[in-house]
Amino acid sequence: MEAQPRTVALFISDLHLQEAMPRTLQAFLAFLRGPARQAQQLYVLGDLFEYWAGDDDMAAPFNTRIVQALRAVSDAGVALYWIAGNRDFLIGPAFAAATGAVLLPDPYVADIGGQSMILAHGDAQCTDDAGYMAFRSEVRQPAWQAAFLARSLAERKAIIASMRQGSREAQRSKSNQIMDVNGAAITALFDSTGAGVMIHGHTHRPALHVTHSSDIERRRYVLPDWDLDSEAPHGGWIVLDAKGVLHRLDHNAVEFEVSTGP
Amino acid sequence: MAVIITTNYGKFTIELYADKAPKTVENFLSYVNSGFYTNTIFHRVIDGFMIQGGGFEPGMKQKATKDNVENEAKNGLKNEPYTLAMARTSDPHSASSQFFVNVKSNSFLDYPGQDGWGYCVFGKVTEGMEVVDKIRAVKTSRTGMHADVPAEDVVIEKAEVV
Repeated sequence: MEAQPRTVALFISDLHLQEAMPRTLQAFLAFLRGPARQAQQLYVLGDLFEYWAGDDDMAAPFNTRIVQALRAVSDAGVALYWIAGNRDFLIGPAFAAATGAVLLPDPYVADIGGQSMILAHGDAQCTDDAGYMAFRSEVRQPAWQAAFLARSLAERKAIIASMRQGSREAQRSKSNQIMDVNGAAITALFDSTGAGVMIHGHTHRPALHVTHSSDIERRRYVLPDWDLDSEAPHGGWIVLDAKGVLHRLDHNAVEFEVSTGP
Repeated sequence: MAVIITTNYGKFTIELYADKAPKTVENFLSYVNSGFYTNTIFHRVIDGFMIQGGGFEPGMKQKATKDNVENEAKNGLKNEPYTLAMARTSDPHSASSQFFVNVKSNSFLDYPGQDGWGYCVFGKVTEGMEVVDKIRAVKTSRTGMHADVPAEDVVIEKAEVV
């Protein structure tokens, strides 16, 4: 039997892992034991965790399990890369050391398999959500993070719990318009980097958006979120194969409908 | 070798370049001659880019096609305005029945293209360009998984060799 050429890279995001969603965790662990081991590189593009109170929370059994599973992937020779999400932006150097992950800035222009790609979580491009953008600019500042991390772990978890509740309430009143990425922000990101491919998550609107203007093709891949614990199980990842082609797969590794045409 | 495509917006004539894209033209003619294209639609219309059809019936019902045809894009022909080319997936040799008419010069689709293969040009509209221009201007929207779908069906009523 012919050996399959090794997948160049896998991209995944928005698992929102939390104790209340055990099947989702199982699916992710199965992914790490299976498909992830076939890749040269694994990129986690944000919101792996539903929340992250600080690297000192790695000791919690739920988190330890996930850290160990990621460590095993690194130890198997897969290069692990990380971009923070809006939920787990407090992931830090201790987590990186424990898992073997390289923390990347957002956005990050990667050269993967000879292709230039913009990798991002996607929250910074939701510029129509003024409230979130203001929040984001505050909490991504090192000074804010240092002050927050100086609080006790119990205090941080309590603050986060109340913020999550606030977020759920805010979601109910936001229109769909606000919660997707802003077209101009996406265009600006493409323009500033010269890359033709972008991969991001955050919006939970998995899709491939292709635009052609001035003879330049731009492909924006949006990753799905994962939820195997609800009535409409969904999840998935993106593969860059050995031929340089990107594929969008669901959580069963079945490819989403492939578009035909230029 | 020419084919007339009759649509609900009028007819246009295509000249086929069998010398430059022999397998592609043979494949296209087999769909023409079997009546496959009758009652298929132009399901993907992007003004300023191209109009694509030959794969779906009204209601976005995809038709089963025959074997794929080899990619013959490296034939020197260019995706100039009103040329016809074969649609395909990211698999270079996945063209079957769907084709598109370029409505402007889309040189980035010429061999080697963005992916080392390009899209195979196999014909050109020689009469009825104004019909292509009517089709390219129709109102489109998103239906389910498909974007740029004409709001009112653009139907191929007949495709025949002349």
